[in-house]
Amino acid sequence: MSYDAALSIGSFPRAILHIDGDAFFASCEQSRNPALRGKPVVTGKERGIASSMSYEAKACGVTRAMPLHEIRKRCPNVVILPSDYETYSLLSKRLYAIVRRYTPDVEEYGIDECFADITGLRRPLHMSYEQIAERIKRELDTELGFTFSIGLAPNKVVAKVASKWKKPSGLTVIPAREIHTFLENLPAEKIWGIGRHTSNYLEKLGITTALQFARMRESEVRARFSKPFYEIWQELNGRFILPLTLEEKTSQASIQKMRTFTPPSNDKKFVFAQLSKNIENACIKARRYKLAARRITILLRTSTFHDTAAELSLSHGSAFPDEIVTACESPFNSLFNPRVTYRATAVILTKFEPVLSQQPDLFGESVRVERLVKLYDAVDAIAARYGKHTAFLGSSFAAHAYAQHKGDRGDAPERKHMGIKGETKRQRLNIPMFIGDVS
Amino acid sequence: MTGEHSFTIVIAMKRNEHVEKIIGFYHARKRMPSYREIMRLTGFKSTNAVYKFVEKLVAANLVKKDGQSRLIPTGLMNETPVLGRVEAGFPSPAEEELVDTMSIDEYLIENREATYLLKVSGDSMIGAGIMAGDLVLVERKGDARDGEIVIAEVDHKWTMKYLRKKSGRIFLEAANEKYKPIIPKEELKIAAVVKAVIRKY
Repeated sequence: MSYDAALSIGSFPRAILHIDGDAFFASCEQSRNPALRGKPVVTGKERGIASSMSYEAKACGVTRAMPLHEIRKRCPNVVILPSDYETYSLLSKRLYAIVRRYTPDVEEYGIDECFADITGLRRPLHMSYEQIAERIKRELDTELGFTFSIGLAPNKVVAKVASKWKKPSGLTVIPAREIHTFLENLPAEKIWGIGRHTSNYLEKLGITTALQFARMRESEVRARFSKPFYEIWQELNGRFILPLTLEEKTSQASIQKMRTFTPPSNDKKFVFAQLSKNIENACIKARRYKLAARRITILLRTSTFHDTAAELSLSHGSAFPDEIVTACESPFNSLFNPRVTYRATAVILTKFEPVLSQQPDLFGESVRVERLVKLYDAVDAIAARYGKHTAFLGSSFAAHAYAQHKGDRGDAPERKHMGIKGETKRQRLNIPMFIGDVS
Repeated sequence: MTGEHSFTIVIAMKRNEHVEKIIGFYHARKRMPSYREIMRLTGFKSTNAVYKFVEKLVAANLVKKDGQSRLIPTGLMNETPVLGRVEAGFPSPAEEELVDTMSIDEYLIENREATYLLKVSGDSMIGAGIMAGDLVLVERKGDARDGEIVIAEVDHKWTMKYLRKKSGRIFLEAANEKYKPIIPKEELKIAAVVKAVIRKY
C-alpha cells in the first residue's frame, strides 16, 4: 500500500458544507456590545460553568465547562455573562435562513452549526462550490457581525474535519482526492463520531491517526466495528453515506429538564421542590407535543458533580405532574442522602405514546384521568394568559419561592430588562438588540 | 412601444400560457430554462420556433439574453402589476387580487437576517428627528454611503451619526450643533446603517 496515494479520486461527487459559528454565544455577546470587543468573555454565569468563551478567554486557558471561580483565577479581567438564549436562538435562526438563500437542503445540526448540500448549484448560481461557500461566509460574517468557519467536502464527516481545520474564520476546501493529506496527522479521535472508547480500541489495533483508520481494509472494518463506524470509514474514503436530516424536529424521543440552583442544598424539601418544578416543566413540554411518557428518570447531582439516578415506569402514559411527582417520591427518598449537598436535579421523560392512543382501563382509572385532563387544560389556559407557572403544584413551592440562584449568579441577561415599550415578560420583539449606550 | 400600450402587451404576454410555464419553471428551479427546455415546456416543435417566441419576449422587455444567449428574467418575474393601469374600465375582481399588501414588518425591514434594534440614548441626532428613547432599526452591511446615518464603533462604544465622505476624507457628523464632527484616527468601524426609527406612544 502506498502511503501517499489518494483515498478517493474526483473532487466533489457531492458538495457538502459544514458551517460552524466561532465561539457562538460569546461572539453573539461581543458583536452586539462594543464594550466587550477584544476582551475575554465567558457565558454561562447562571450555570456556574463556562458554556462558551471568546477567543481572548480561550487564550487565557479557559475551557468549556470550567468552573467560574477557576476562570476568574486564570483570567482576572474576564467578563462573565448570564446566557441569553432568547438572543442566541434568534441569531441561530438567521444562520439557517442565510444558508437557505442558497440551498433548501440545510440540516440544523446545532444552535451554532449546520450542514448544507450545495451539489449541483454551480451552474444556476454561476459560481464554483468554493465561491458559493465564500459568499455564504461573507454574508454570515457581515449580517451576524461575527465570524464563521466553513468546511467544504464531499460528505459530512470530512466537511466537519474541514470546518475545524482553520478556526476562527476559516474556509477549508477538501476535494475527495485530497482527503488523505488532511487525515495524515489528525488523531483518530478528532473525527466526528469517534469517541474515547473507539479511539482506545483503535490504539490497541495500532491505529492512532485518522488516515490509518481510513486505510484499514474494508473487510476488517466491517468485521471489527459496528455500522456507524463503518459509515465513518466510508466517508473518510470520500463516499457520501450519511444523508442530511432536513425535517424540522416535530416529535421528541425524550424530554429532559435540568436546573442548577445556588447555593447547593441538603434540605430535602427544597431539593424535592426543585425536582417537582422540573417535572412540571417537562410535563408542560410533553403536553405541548401531545405526548404522554411511560418511563421517568430522575437525577440528583451533588455539589461535587456526582450523579445519582433512578428510573421508574408508569402503568400508562402521563403528562401530568400530579401523577409523576407522586410516583417519584419513593425513588427520590431512596436516592437522597442528607449528608450530601446537591446542586441540580433533573427529570427525563421517555417512552412516549401519543395522548390519543391511551386505553381506558378498569378500576375507574379513566374517570380519574379525565379529571386530570380537564384540570391541566385549565392550568395550560391560565399559563397561556398569565404566564408559565402561574398555577403550580404545592410540592414545587419552595423552588418557586426564591430566585433560582441567590447572589450574582441570579443576574438576568441584559436583554431581559431593556424595557421596550409594549414588550411583556412573555413576549418580546423578534429582532436582536445592540447593547450599550449610544452617544 | 410606449407607456400604457406597452404595459397592456406586457400583461397580455404574462397571461400567455407558455409564459406561465416559463415562470413556473423559474420559480421551481431558480433559473431560466434553456431553449431546449422551453421547447419541452411549451411543446414547440423546433428550437427555431422557440427562438422566435423568445425574440417576442425580448421585444416586450420581459427577458434579456446574456452574451451566451442564456435568458435573464427582467420584467417577467419582479414586476407587480399595478391595479388600474391595465384597462380603462373598472378592474375585475380577479385583477384586484393582484394587488399585494405588505405588513409593517415588511415595509420597515429590507433584509431580515441583517436587521437589529438599538435603543437610542443621547441627543446627538436630534436634528434628524431621532430622540433619546427611540428605537432604531439598523442593518448590518459591508459598507455605507455618504449621507447615511450609521452606527459606528468609537472607543468601545456605539455612536450614531451621519457618515460623510468628502474628497477622500471620512468622518462622522452629528445632527446637533453641540457635537463636533468625529474624525477617526485609525480605521472607522461601521457596524450598521440606520433604516428606520420607531417611536411608540
